[in-house]
Amino acid sequence: MGQKQRVDQQPGFVLHTHPYRETSLIVEVFSRDYGRMALVAKGARRPMSALRGVLMAYQPLLLDWSGGGEVKTLIRAEWLGGQPLLSGKELLCGYYLNELLVKLLPREDAHAELYAHYAALIQRLPGETRFEPVLRAFELTLLSELGYGVPLEHDAETESPIEADAHYGYIIDRGPVRDVSPEDGLPMVTGQTLLDMAAGRFDDPKTLVQSKALLRHLIQHHLGAQPLHSRRMFKELQAL
Amino acid sequence: MTPSTLDALIEALRCLPGVGPKSAQRMAYHMLQRDQRGAARLASALSKALEVLRHCARCNTFTEDDICQRCANPQRDPRLLCVVEMPSDLAMMEQTHAFKGMYYVLMGRMSPLDGIGPRELKLEKLVERATDGQVEEVILATNFTNEGEVTAHTVGELMRARGLKVSRIARGVPVGGELEHTDIGTIAQALIERRSV
Repeated sequence: MGQKQRVDQQPGFVLHTHPYRETSLIVEVFSRDYGRMALVAKGARRPMSALRGVLMAYQPLLLDWSGGGEVKTLIRAEWLGGQPLLSGKELLCGYYLNELLVKLLPREDAHAELYAHYAALIQRLPGETRFEPVLRAFELTLLSELGYGVPLEHDAETESPIEADAHYGYIIDRGPVRDVSPEDGLPMVTGQTLLDMAAGRFDDPKTLVQSKALLRHLIQHHLGAQPLHSRRMFKELQAL
Repeated sequence: MTPSTLDALIEALRCLPGVGPKSAQRMAYHMLQRDQRGAARLASALSKALEVLRHCARCNTFTEDDICQRCANPQRDPRLLCVVEMPSDLAMMEQTHAFKGMYYVLMGRMSPLDGIGPRELKLEKLVERATDGQVEEVILATNFTNEGEVTAHTVGELMRARGLKVSRIARGVPVGGELEHTDIGTIAQALIERRSV
């Protein structure tokens, strides 16, 4: 087991909370230097708990914790402020981001770049009108930061640079390949989409549609059998 | 060895929220050893409640009738429909004596990461209730947590799409509250949501 250690003033966000025992919470946080952590917030469900209003998702916090096991003990959570509460569509997007992190990010594995991307994205969600491009960019950062690797710039077979006008099928863990038949069941994208994704450009409508399908395919592969609830809820909401 | 009847009782008590094996065991021993009459009362109250109580066809709260007394009361304004998460929220709203409209109790809240969404909350029942031709305004009184907020958004969208007026209860500094003793998150949001006077 790990050494008992104390961490102070660690920037982080709450991703999700579960009730624990009668008055406590297990808090899943995404911290800057320690990655995803499980912390127990003792007494946080008591009506007068000072932690109650602070442990809200999508709010930048400073966290102190200690402990040696898998679940550490939250000692203090300080609200940094400056972030309006999310509402409406931006909140649904927030849930989607958090669900991706909870389900794909291993515990106690630092991802400073992903953290920076997440923090910046949460900050710009209020007032955002086009959610799709920012979600695609985050998905791509997430997959590459997790080490899954999303090769986009070269043909996986010939190693020649991607041609904008050509059509490619995408093989997971290998990358784009030309001259595939529809029977292979690979997600198909144009070279232009691959180049746009590599450059982080998601404004073109066609790029947006194709990258969405490709990234969804990759994410689902890494999730395995786990469903993404927030995605299902988007759909249910539209159907009602 | 504990007899199996006792085991079954302990196991059954664990269905209560926050009750683990230890608490369940304590409760079982207490009832059997110290308070058999209390235990009998609990058993009969529980089986009566299970037999008699159901959800009101209109507001979804617990009632013994098809339609609860509040929904059947002709004094209440059928044009206003207030949506709350739990019966305890409804009780708080009633204590204000500030609302004379009707209610709808969701019996929960959306929690996307736990897989609780429109389907699990049976929002189609609320849609049916709100489109009875009498309701004009839907007041969203879910909690000011992220879960309550996403629930409010979802219900709001559904209601707006059906031509109903939608409003959300206000949040801010508590009545009689002093800024000095109010948590900063509340003050920050009160500033963001300030209104002109």
